[in-house]
Amino acid sequence: MNSRLPGPARRRAGRRTWRQALRRDWQLYSLAVLPLLFFLVFRYLPMLGNVIAFRRFQPGGSVFGERWVGLRYVRMFMTDSTFWDVFTNTLVLGALTLLFCFPLPIVLALLLNELRSRRLKRFVQSVSYLPHFLSIVIVAAMVMQLVSMDGTLNQFVRAVGGEAVPFLQQAGWFRTIYVSSEVWQTVGWGTILYLAALTAVDEDLYEAARIDGANRWRQTWHVTLPGIRPTMVTLLILNIGTFMAVGFEKILLLYNPLTYPTADVISTYLFRVGIVSNNFSYAAAIGLFESVIGLTLVLSANAISRRAVGTSLW
Amino acid sequence: MVTIDKSAAAPPTGRRHGAHTSRGYRVFRVVNAIVLTGVVLVTLYPFVNIVARSLSDNAYIVSGEVNLIPRGFNLVAYRAVMSDPMFWTNYRNTVVYTVVATAVSIVLTTCYAYVLSKKQLKGRTALVGIAVFTMFFTGGLIPNYILVTSLGLKNTVWAIALPNAINVFNLLVMKAFFESLPVELEEAAAVDGLNTYGILLRIVLPLSKAVVATMVLFYAVSFWNSWFAAFLYMDRMDLFPVTVYLRNLIAGATDATSVGGGLGSASDVVQSAATIQSVTIVLTVLPILAVYPFIQRYFVSGVMLGAVKG
Amino acid sequence: MAPLSRRQLLFAAGAAAVVSVAGCSDDADDKKDLSGNRAGAMDKYGVGDQFKATTAVSFSMLYNNHPNYPLKDDWLFWSELAKRTGVKIEPVAVPLSDYEQKRSVLVGAGDAPFIIPKTYHPQEDAYVSSGAILPVSDYLDLMPHFKDRIEKWNLQPEIDSLRQEDGKFYLLPGLHEKPWQDYTLAVRMDILDELKIPVPETWDDVYTMLKAMKAAHPDVYPFSDRFGKPNPAGNLLNMLALAYGLQGAGWNFQHTSWDANAKKFVYTGASEQYKAMLEFLHKLVDEKLLDPETFTQTDDQARQKLASGKSFVISANAQSIVNDYRPDMANTLPNARIAKIPFPIGPAGPMNPASRLENGIMISSKARDGKNFVAMMQFIDWLWYSDTGQEFAKWGVEGTTYTKDASGKRTLTPDVDVLGLNPNGTKHLQKDFGFYNGIFAYGGRLELVQSFFSEEEMEFQKVLNARPIVAVPPPHPLSDTEREQVTLWETPLKDYVYTNTLKFILGQRPLGEWDAYVTELNGKNMGSYLDVVNKSYDRYQKNHG
Repeated sequence: MNSRLPGPARRRAGRRTWRQALRRDWQLYSLAVLPLLFFLVFRYLPMLGNVIAFRRFQPGGSVFGERWVGLRYVRMFMTDSTFWDVFTNTLVLGALTLLFCFPLPIVLALLLNELRSRRLKRFVQSVSYLPHFLSIVIVAAMVMQLVSMDGTLNQFVRAVGGEAVPFLQQAGWFRTIYVSSEVWQTVGWGTILYLAALTAVDEDLYEAARIDGANRWRQTWHVTLPGIRPTMVTLLILNIGTFMAVGFEKILLLYNPLTYPTADVISTYLFRVGIVSNNFSYAAAIGLFESVIGLTLVLSANAISRRAVGTSLW
Repeated sequence: MVTIDKSAAAPPTGRRHGAHTSRGYRVFRVVNAIVLTGVVLVTLYPFVNIVARSLSDNAYIVSGEVNLIPRGFNLVAYRAVMSDPMFWTNYRNTVVYTVVATAVSIVLTTCYAYVLSKKQLKGRTALVGIAVFTMFFTGGLIPNYILVTSLGLKNTVWAIALPNAINVFNLLVMKAFFESLPVELEEAAAVDGLNTYGILLRIVLPLSKAVVATMVLFYAVSFWNSWFAAFLYMDRMDLFPVTVYLRNLIAGATDATSVGGGLGSASDVVQSAATIQSVTIVLTVLPILAVYPFIQRYFVSGVMLGAVKG
Repeated sequence: MAPLSRRQLLFAAGAAAVVSVAGCSDDADDKKDLSGNRAGAMDKYGVGDQFKATTAVSFSMLYNNHPNYPLKDDWLFWSELAKRTGVKIEPVAVPLSDYEQKRSVLVGAGDAPFIIPKTYHPQEDAYVSSGAILPVSDYLDLMPHFKDRIEKWNLQPEIDSLRQEDGKFYLLPGLHEKPWQDYTLAVRMDILDELKIPVPETWDDVYTMLKAMKAAHPDVYPFSDRFGKPNPAGNLLNMLALAYGLQGAGWNFQHTSWDANAKKFVYTGASEQYKAMLEFLHKLVDEKLLDPETFTQTDDQARQKLASGKSFVISANAQSIVNDYRPDMANTLPNARIAKIPFPIGPAGPMNPASRLENGIMISSKARDGKNFVAMMQFIDWLWYSDTGQEFAKWGVEGTTYTKDASGKRTLTPDVDVLGLNPNGTKHLQKDFGFYNGIFAYGGRLELVQSFFSEEEMEFQKVLNARPIVAVPPPHPLSDTEREQVTLWETPLKDYVYTNTLKFILGQRPLGEWDAYVTELNGKNMGSYLDVVNKSYDRYQKNHG
């Protein structure tokens, strides 16, 4: 599987001087000019504004703030006990989402792959993609209908003789509700890349496995899963990197003060702080902190995966 | 997970993937069918519900009586939405913005992904780094606004197309695909005297229809559903996409929340708000649903990604 | 991955310098010389005068676009406005759904239009220190009608509550002659008749009524409330807090309340009155009179319960009675009758709790340097604060959209509808003409404010206007640095009060833990918060009192 990985020798050969590289590959480099310009202008330029994490910014004043205040805003959130509460919530929700929303698309893709009728397969696929197209406002409204006291879920609870549960009022239920709705919304769409990868698994390998006497289960375990491993690893690394970016808008629509203890995350907290105070500097400081964590996570995940399974993003 | 016959290795049957007839596998297929049927039902319910609402009388929606079948069937709301010229203006904007922005995105993403896929290229790691870094570090709202304004992009389609032209996730997926293409073809083409541009256009892209189609869908869906850029950078109603229209409509229906706000809720047309929302949602989602089965062909049949090979 | 090289960073920085826009404003123009800014202005403009620009002028304005009457260029409002005043407004249309966010970006980026309406105090506070908005109190001489109203209607205390640390104010608020309390409870009158109980006057009466309802209909929660976004039970908590003599709670959350006896501010959520009101609400929940879902459900769900007879009492304003509840019930409960009850009285005694200030207008500082600045202020004064301007914005053009009889009573022309007053009219006052627009038409004389009211609403207002007006708390403006610190305390404090308010009400936390709760609030800087507020009050008294 790894035959296309460049060997060490090849990599060595790539070490040229810039002059040689430019002369040889100038056409390639020229293709990168416009995209680089895009990154420079629309990504890196506005990033300079993050300097307000260390400067006092006044809305309507200079974009780069009025004066240096050092680590004032960093100290502010470091000593803010609410910040650490929401930080913990962010980690827990991120971890739970990763735990469910990463593997379930793989399972669903494998199940779909076992369907023999192509038409049926395509139908199930098409249907399972649908939630991806719904706006979060609508998804949230549906969730709230479902789990309300008179909602479908409580009708079911009553039918089996239970006492109706005020799901939305109990902090203990929020994570379950949130993660379930994430699963509903993302799992189908998440199968796209795996299904594509599955079609590319070499038929000969199955043949070989059968000759060795492997049953279906073993074929899946020894051929299918390794075959889609690169896809899995790539997506896992990307998922880990965006771990902290839990769904802001959905939480905002689903939570309420009673569920703040489990539901409030960094972004929703910042939103409430920002709305009342227009405190862009404070937000920038926390934003930078989040960025550093995200970048560290993705770099580590990438390094580990390169060592362990020989697959990496770059 | 699923019951598996582990007693003995079933003898190869010679058919695709073998062992279709083992008892365990038959059980599995039944379970699988049930699971997938469940997935379909759970997924479809809310959609049927929305369509039902869009065709119902508002009173029934408010009293919570509309589930799967429309109650008080009528097309009034469809007529109301479709007779609003602003809806169509905004709808047309959405189409234009989506097409232009997707085109720009595809060109830039393809170019950069192709460059990044060349492992022997000097400086490649730095080029990847420049992109990945932006997944985590971004600029704030106000710097972005000032940038777009001072470039004179406000109130043009470019305010939507340019600032979000490259999605790094998509870029990495595409890069992985290009890396999995056999190098031999490109080398042969080079020997035949094709330059880099020629190779990309005549050799690589024809082999990459699947991934390009996927990217078109990914980008198009995200531009179709996006509202924030337009909301921020457009100053006139006739420039808004339909998502902003929809968002405002929903907000208008729940407007009574502003405290004591004079005319905060001065609205005598709210009666059919719930229905109108559903109608607008249906009309907004419809085109995507209509288009994507065609693109979806590529996901299933194509070699898309050929696995994301490192 | 290689981090950005220094060269790349330097390049980016260089490019940034080229593009960067210095949001600088002229600090030196404190001089009151307006001679260069009088183009188009009237030389003599006083109370009762019609403003008319001497040359055609135009002003940019942020426009909060309401989906129920979306902005149209061909509205009679625009053409008639140009005819009467010579002013053309250039609107920057912003969807109502996200108006505040766009305003924040525009002002923050220094790209705001001249006129910025629909600003609710204290939203303007954040923009004061950068100098992005104009201290309008410096230019009141240009606004005779505004000054006249403050004086005639004794609005000075209300105006003073808007002042900043420098003693100036930065917002031109809408002004009411009399307070207009719209929100209250609505009750199923047919149930009251059925049970033979009178319309409740006090909150204790409300309790008795709910008890009776529960006794007769044991399987319903008689009270299930709405208006839960963005703060659960937003209206219910606010009504109770006001009735208990506090500054506000719920969707009108006020951290501090003024204690007139002790002459200092106290923390609303830790006061004895607040505790008493939570005890009252807990009693309602405990005896199954108030639906616990009140605190989480959507408006639609609450309406659903009312419409299907699962509840009898709900929060309401004049609009929701006519537009929501009655149509909802028309199908399901054809014999039901629902109406507003007068704002229930609490321990603080009878009162009309509404403020006489409305949302208002900020002026971008850039406008000050424009050559038409004086004309603009005169124009604003006429349209928003003069009788003729307000009548025009609300009713439109006499003879076209309305007629006036000898007694001065206005009637819509038969073809024009608004608020369902002329159901057969083919044209709509808001949608087709652009009048009665939430941006231009609010406040004013009592007679004008009430001119669209139904009989029913007039009755309600008559009861409330007989009650005394609530005094406003004294000004206590914060300095820029104080505000930055205080706002970071405010969010956690508010969250904590809210979470525990709901827990106490629902019985998830016993009220016996009240003292522990107050201690916990202190752990969240409540003490320091009050110190800052009381200190700023003292400072303001000393400097400007």
